Amino acid sequence: MMSDQQIIKLCAKHNRKAQQELYDRYSRLLLGVCMRYASDKSEAEDILQESFIKIFFNIQDFSGSGSFIGWLRRVAVNTAITHYHKNLKYRYQVEIEEYETQETGVVSFEEDFYTSDELYIVLNDLPPGYRMVFNLYAVEGYKHKEIAEMLNIDTNTSKSQYSRAKAVMRDKLEKLGKLKISYKEENLS
Amino acid sequence: MKEKKQNITLRQLFRRKLENDEIMPDNAVRSKLMRRVARQEFLRFIPYRFNIFYLAGILIPAITVAGLVFATLHEKNTVSTSLPLSRISSKDTAKYFEVNIPEPERKPVNVPLTVQKKSEKVHPGTVPAGRQNTSASVVKKPDSLIEVQHAAVKNDLLERELFANGNVDSKKLQTSVIAVESLIKPESSTGCAPFKVRFHSNSVASDSCRWIFGDGGFSSDPDPEWIFDVEGEYKVVLQVFRHDGSTLTSAAIVNVHPKPTAHYEIMPEKPILPRDEIHFLNFSTNAVQCKWDFGDGTVSDSYEPSHTYSKYGAYDVRLVVFSDKGCSDSLVVFNAFSGSEYFIDFPNAFIPNPQGPTGGYYSPKSDEAAQVFHPSYSGVSEYQLKIFSKLGIPIFESNDVNSGWDGYHKGQLCAPGVYIWKVRGKYRNGEPFIKMGDVTLLKK
Repeated sequence: MMSDQQIIKLCAKHNRKAQQELYDRYSRLLLGVCMRYASDKSEAEDILQESFIKIFFNIQDFSGSGSFIGWLRRVAVNTAITHYHKNLKYRYQVEIEEYETQETGVVSFEEDFYTSDELYIVLNDLPPGYRMVFNLYAVEGYKHKEIAEMLNIDTNTSKSQYSRAKAVMRDKLEKLGKLKISYKEENLS
Repeated sequence: MKEKKQNITLRQLFRRKLENDEIMPDNAVRSKLMRRVARQEFLRFIPYRFNIFYLAGILIPAITVAGLVFATLHEKNTVSTSLPLSRISSKDTAKYFEVNIPEPERKPVNVPLTVQKKSEKVHPGTVPAGRQNTSASVVKKPDSLIEVQHAAVKNDLLERELFANGNVDSKKLQTSVIAVESLIKPESSTGCAPFKVRFHSNSVASDSCRWIFGDGGFSSDPDPEWIFDVEGEYKVVLQVFRHDGSTLTSAAIVNVHPKPTAHYEIMPEKPILPRDEIHFLNFSTNAVQCKWDFGDGTVSDSYEPSHTYSKYGAYDVRLVVFSDKGCSDSLVVFNAFSGSEYFIDFPNAFIPNPQGPTGGYYSPKSDEAAQVFHPSYSGVSEYQLKIFSKLGIPIFESNDVNSGWDGYHKGQLCAPGVYIWKVRGKYRNGEPFIKMGDVTLLKK
């Protein structure tokens, strides 16, 4: 079995087998990343494909310092952002103030209460702008300043979008939670 | 026994559950990806793979070499004569036989159209803008122009043959020329271009003759038929060559009036019937009188009439024009308005009823129709309308073309301003449509 180093070297030479091995090894993880940014699985797969094209043609830029997986992830995230920007004009921009949110009190969560599938559903339901900021801050761990640069927005916009996103998420998760509980109760009775 | 579950923040929740989550992509993605990669690699210069640049590097020299080889081979085989193999034009034969025969004018005037000879079928509708009608979609029906062309050419060829055989002693031609009146019937004639005239010579059958029509044409037929394409006054000369060597000449006058040209266009170019009033724009030339037939039983003799049809149908629109001398021309477009039956249009503003939501159903004839935002349409079979606020919030949706938007959202009258509508559906003929636009909600 090839090591990551070998794969990288061979992919730089466009060795077909190495490319396939790279895909087989990391596509599942990267699809997980893309899934967070897309509205549905097929859009996520589109972003995944784009990401791999970029990976195969730019792999020689990976200097070898830092984690390879981290580099792969960054390519996927950047591709997702490009995809978002490309599709911006086809979406209606929802003004932050106009979005109806209720400030609910759910501030803490039980880790195992929600499945990852459910979390994807809730994420995908967010308006794309919120989703981008939320992912980049909460999951990828970028700072608001960095996010502002990547998305071409103000730092303050990033901050306020994040807090609004959180509010919306809490609201949705609470509703989802209530549904789950009532469903459980129904099954028990 | 209840396990103590730790409570975490939202951020932690997402991070923990999703950061390293793995999802299996569809199998098709892999193959699609590898195909794309192969394609892209081909198009870029990658030393390790056969790519387009390598291909060019092989093909271009190969083509050049092949071209050179072919060129040298070809030179050896070419014959020295430079006569083109196309049919010999009349100009060439004239030089050959030393007879000065100018090219007769055959082309009709003012008609840069491709004329369809036999079929009456025409592409309906589009009569394009501008005087130069270059599309093949309109058929002109000039009076027997086409059949005549063949006859005229034949006459030319006959004539040349005669002189080539040297049957006539040119000296004799010059010596005894007697001007004789009334050898030609008719003596004078007048008509509209293209004017077909049948000439009759009063000479004996045993004499040979030569007609000079004055527009560049000739004939040796004793009773030729000739068509004058171009307007003007022509002196037609007949020369009769008798066996005794004498020559008789006679002349007649032919007056050819110019033909008017019937030409029109409709506005709007793609009208909807019966909704639109059609304006007929007249581009005819040399016309002092016009007769229109709209194909629905109505006619007009206005210069540029307007007409509204009572219902959609296949209408043939014909225009006949007359010149001051009585010559005429006509232009007919068969099924001029096909394909204009179905449409859907929305207004750009409306004033909702301030007294409360009405539910959106409207009857087209009543006043309340103006208080509901709805389309005018014909032939719609599938329909979905969505209304959004300017900022993208969905306000209203309807799948029934008879149910419009009353201007309310959740029981409240919406604020005046601009809203966005989006409609999609299908016409009865299966043709889909998608439209969007904005509408201004006004306060009463």
